[in-house]
Amino acid sequence: MIVGSANIETLAEDAATIESFGKSEIVFEDVVCLQMTMEMRNQAREAVLPKGLHPTVPATLSMQAWEIGPSPFGEFKMVVCRIGCRSGVRARGYSTRVYANTQIAVTALKQQFGFSTQLAEIEFRHSFDGTDVKVIFESRVIFEAACLDPEPMSNSDVQYTGTLNLAHTPNGLRLVQLEAHHVASQVERLSSRLLSFDGEAWGNSLLDPYTVVSASLAYETVTFPPVRFVCKPDELAFTGTESV
Amino acid sequence: MKFGIFFELSTPRPLTRQNEWQVYHNGLEQCRLADELGFDHVWAVEHHFLEEYSHCSSPEVFLSAVAAQTRRIRIGHGAVVCVPEMNHPVRVAERAAALDIISNGRLEVGTARSSTWTELGGFQVNPDDTKKTWDEFCRVLPKMWTQEEFEWQGKGFSMPSRNVLPKPYQNPHPPMWVTVTTPGTELDAADRGLGCLGVSAAGYEEQERRTKEYHRRIQLCDPVGGVINDQVHTMNFLYCDEDYRKARDIGVPMVNAFNVANTHLYWTREAYPTRAYQTLGNAGAGMKAKKAAGDNPSLAKGLPEGVGVGDPEHLINTIKKWEEIGVTGINFLLNAMEMVPQEQVLASMKLFAKEVMPRFRSKEDLAAPVYTPTSLPAFVGAEK
Repeated sequence: MIVGSANIETLAEDAATIESFGKSEIVFEDVVCLQMTMEMRNQAREAVLPKGLHPTVPATLSMQAWEIGPSPFGEFKMVVCRIGCRSGVRARGYSTRVYANTQIAVTALKQQFGFSTQLAEIEFRHSFDGTDVKVIFESRVIFEAACLDPEPMSNSDVQYTGTLNLAHTPNGLRLVQLEAHHVASQVERLSSRLLSFDGEAWGNSLLDPYTVVSASLAYETVTFPPVRFVCKPDELAFTGTESV
Repeated sequence: MKFGIFFELSTPRPLTRQNEWQVYHNGLEQCRLADELGFDHVWAVEHHFLEEYSHCSSPEVFLSAVAAQTRRIRIGHGAVVCVPEMNHPVRVAERAAALDIISNGRLEVGTARSSTWTELGGFQVNPDDTKKTWDEFCRVLPKMWTQEEFEWQGKGFSMPSRNVLPKPYQNPHPPMWVTVTTPGTELDAADRGLGCLGVSAAGYEEQERRTKEYHRRIQLCDPVGGVINDQVHTMNFLYCDEDYRKARDIGVPMVNAFNVANTHLYWTREAYPTRAYQTLGNAGAGMKAKKAAGDNPSLAKGLPEGVGVGDPEHLINTIKKWEEIGVTGINFLLNAMEMVPQEQVLASMKLFAKEVMPRFRSKEDLAAPVYTPTSLPAFVGAEK
């Protein structure tokens, strides 16, 4: 069984810090979420994941671009890079890097959920003819995608998996399991093209998404419940899981 | 109650040629023993690119060897992936017919459409189309097997009039099945007069509900073929030892290894938004059952109800329960990732055949002669 081989200490250098786990859920009532799923080459398959996680076969990477309306952290946009993986028998996405476009959001995402977040300029245009996303960090385009030809889908047709963020927590360095709950009011499937992707800016220069599998756009309400489980990054979830 | 064995040909890392050779040849030895012991079926799946989980991409080749090395056990070609990018329907019909001839009329044909993006993406299949092409395959295969002139204008393929050869040995054709992972597919099977070949473990209650509805619906079916197959088989695991604790110590890690490998596949539902895939393949049932425990990723330690791991008494009670809810056959996975040494797998099969199997067989069944070509039904019109 293949498992991640990334150096945990190196990963820890980039990890956010959660001083204490929140006790109440946070609801984002006005969210537009683009999810773009891609296959990546096997060179990064194990190299980007900690030992506690298994990669998918084939290796996959998904980008989630979020436009969030009025919320406890104000209005903001964020883009998350996630590696498709398994924690025990659960389907998950391991986040390597997040960019948000307001400092309030950057701080909140790091401190409350353990996202490794940095400030960037984010362009997110969604309309009847398609959706475009661009992330600009330190004057460089680090991600750009163009999605066309939206096709209405049923609200239950899109699958979101839970996210794992490596963070320093009261329990120590842990994979924090974020089980976002999505309730969509409108869902579209799009055909998409990846125009730009800078692996290093997303956590590892080996990241190399080379073929797009699918893209979906959802208008939805998303709830982040309080964290319930964390996992030791260097131990499989069967034995390394802790309740919070 | 029929008993079968079921092969994914899962292969542990490192993925060496020696390991693959060993898995295939261990499987063939298990088939020979199953034939001697009185198991009814051997099934081999068709999967592609599923590292470790299944290296059984050419089941018809494996099953041809099984057919040549056995005398009575029925040969389950299942399931064939009914997607034209993977298998042209003419080639499915031809290969199955040849296998039926080679096996002296012992073939059973399962149909499926694949549930992983790993496979569908590898062959560049549009997931929206697989249910349509599966349906089309189910309807054309019996025609190809029974008609001397076959032509077709369809969704997945079209062809001018040809005689698809050879014809199967069984008349009119081998029994047909549908692999059932997604709830509701058993009704698709019933409506077409096809056997229900369960490949995901459901609990007793869920299986009972689905089996009951299957049996009701098949009474009203519009059969796609020349025969109605109304059997309901489920998939299970087998590890039998006189010592219950020892059986669990060996069997539980084997079951868990299978489940973990299974969940590491990249499911179509996860990869691609579509109406056509509403569950996570055969990982879905297990994951749903564990949801109640709060989505705890550490859960894979215990076994769900009804699993065939234990001492003979435990297995008898377990199988009785499956029998009571209308299941007519159980196909057992004997090993996963070679977790269990081959001698122990063979010993488990022998003990099961000695202590458990007779409890579900009538004296007539046990006294029945070996299934040979001479005991096949007479041909009607197939020798024109």
